[in-house]
Amino acid sequence: MDMNEKPKVEEKVQEVPEVEAPKLPDTKEEKLVAEILKKAPYAEGSVRRERRVEFKVPADRIKEFLELASEKFEMLIQISVVDWLKEGEFELVYQLWSVSESVHAFVKTRIPRENAKMPTVMDIWPVAETYEREAHEFFGIVFEGNPRLGPFILEPREYEKHPLRKDFNMIGYVKTIYGEDFDRYDESKTNYVI
Amino acid sequence: MANLEVPRELREEAKAHDMYLHPIDKDTYELFFGPQHMATENFSIILKMDGNRVEKAIVNPGFLHRGFEKLAEQRPYFTNIALLLRICVPESDVPENIYSMAVDEIVGWEVPERAIWIRNVVLEMARLSAWMFWIMGFGNEIGLYTAGQWAAAYRERFMRLFEELTGGRVYHIYTVPGGVRRDIPGDRWLRQLRDTVEYLKGKMRDFDDILFDNYIMFERTEGVGVMDKKFALKHAVTGPNLRAVGVPYDVRKDDPYYLYPELDFEVPVLKEGDSLARVLVRRYEMEQDLYILEQLLDMGPPSGPYMVKDPKLKNLPRFKVPAGDAYAHVESTKGDFGAYVVSDGTHKPYRVHIRGPSQSHGVTVLEELLKGARLADVPVILKTLDNCPPDIDR
Repeated sequence: MDMNEKPKVEEKVQEVPEVEAPKLPDTKEEKLVAEILKKAPYAEGSVRRERRVEFKVPADRIKEFLELASEKFEMLIQISVVDWLKEGEFELVYQLWSVSESVHAFVKTRIPRENAKMPTVMDIWPVAETYEREAHEFFGIVFEGNPRLGPFILEPREYEKHPLRKDFNMIGYVKTIYGEDFDRYDESKTNYVI
Repeated sequence: MANLEVPRELREEAKAHDMYLHPIDKDTYELFFGPQHMATENFSIILKMDGNRVEKAIVNPGFLHRGFEKLAEQRPYFTNIALLLRICVPESDVPENIYSMAVDEIVGWEVPERAIWIRNVVLEMARLSAWMFWIMGFGNEIGLYTAGQWAAAYRERFMRLFEELTGGRVYHIYTVPGGVRRDIPGDRWLRQLRDTVEYLKGKMRDFDDILFDNYIMFERTEGVGVMDKKFALKHAVTGPNLRAVGVPYDVRKDDPYYLYPELDFEVPVLKEGDSLARVLVRRYEMEQDLYILEQLLDMGPPSGPYMVKDPKLKNLPRFKVPAGDAYAHVESTKGDFGAYVVSDGTHKPYRVHIRGPSQSHGVTVLEELLKGARLADVPVILKTLDNCPPDIDR
C-alpha cells in the first residue's frame, strides 16, 4: 500500500505548479498588467521588458482605459503619433509613466486617417493640452473638447498642411517657398535633396 | 531723498504729446515678452498686464521650429545624430544618447562596457556644463552678473575637454548607435577631467557665497511661482522642478541606464515648490554630479572596444534596423528627456518623436505660474523652471 501511495503524491505536486505558474504574475510589471486587464478586459496587455509594458486598446474605449490607468500611472509623458500610410491609419501612442511603480507604459490605439477624431484627455492630465495641440497641428487629428486647437508651433500658412503626415509633399513645399534655385542638389547635381 | 515725482506741468505736456508708451489712464495693456528678451531665449510670451501684475499669459513658441522630426525620417540612422542633437543646445549629448539608446534597443545590441563608461562620463560632463549655462542665465536675470561670468568661464573648461574628446565644442556628434565615435584621447585627458572636477568642487563654495547663499537671491525667489505636488504630477513636470515639490523621481534612479545602478549618489528633494526650492535643488544636484564624475574616474575606463562589432556596420548609409519601436529616456538638467523611435525595417527611421521636458513645464505650467506674478518676477519664474524653447519647437 505504501509503495502505491507515494507516486500518487508526487504526481499531484508536479501537476499543480504546471497549471498555476503562468497565472501567477511574478514581476511587478506582470502584476500591474494583470491588475489593469482585470478591470479592462477589452484591452490587450503585455510586458516588453523590465519597466516597459504595452497595452493595445480599441479607439472608442481609449478614454475609459486612460482614466483607469491614471490611478497607477500619474504622468502622461507624451502623445506620439505614427502615420501608417499603407494601412490608412494613425497610431496614437500615449506614453505613461508611473512614479510609484517606476514603469513606463505604451498605450497604443489606431484610428482611420480620414477625418481622424479622438476625445481629449485634458480632464485627466491637463498637460495633454500641449501634446494634443502639437498632434493636431502636425497630423490634423481633431481632439474633441480641447479648446486651444489651432496654429501653435508652425506659421499660419503651414497650419493646414499637417507636415508630419507621410503624404505631405515636402520637396514640393520647399520649392514653392524657397524657389527652384535653392541649391539643394546632391553631388551628382540631379537629385533634389532636403 | 530726492524728489522722484515728475512735475505736474511736465506730465501734462508729455500726455499732450503722447510721449508715454501706453495710455496712463488705462491700467490694462498687452506686453510682448520676448523673443528679444534675454530670459525667454527663443520664444515669446504674450502678457496681459494689469498695472504691474500679469493677468494672463499666452505662450507663443515656434521661433526655433526646424522640422527635425520630419527631416529625421528622410535620413539614414547614423546621419540623424548630427541633426537631432540640435534639439537641446546647452546639453546636446542628451538627444544623441536617447536616440542611440532607442536604436540600440531595437537592434538588440549589447553596447561594449568601454562605450557605456564613456557615454556616462559624457552625459555627466554635459550635465555640469549645462548647470554652468543655467547659472549664467539665472545669475544675469536676478542681477548677480559676476556668478554668470564665472560660470561661463568654468563652462569653457568643459568645452575644451569636449573639443579634445569629440572635435566639437557645443555640438559633439559623438554618441552613435552601438557605441561612441572615437576613443578617449589618452590618460592626459582623464587627468585634465579630474583636475576640472577638483577645481569646480572648490569653486562651489564661491558660488554659494555669491549666488546661492545670497540675500538678493533669497529675496527674489522665495514664494515666487509656487506649485504643489498634485499640480506638478498632473502637468508631467519632471526633473529638478518635480523634486522641488517633494517627489523623488529621477530617471537615473527609477529607470536606471548605463552605470548609474553601480554609482552612489543622492536625489535631493525639497517640499516648498517655489522658485527658491527649485534653485536649491539644482545647487545640490551640481554637487552630486561632481561626486558622480569623481566616482566614474575612480572606476576608470574598462578595456575593450568602444564600438559594437557588427558586420552590418560596414555600409553605414545602408545600415538597416529591424522593425520595431523603443522609448529611451535620460535625466537631463531640465528633466526627463525621451525619444520614441519607430522602425519599419528600412535604413531610415519611420518616426522619431522627441519628448523635451519643456513641452510640459514650458507651456501650460508656465502660463499657470505666471498668473498674478509681478512683471519683474517673470524672468525669475522662467529661469527657475529652466525653460528650453528648442524642446517645444523641435
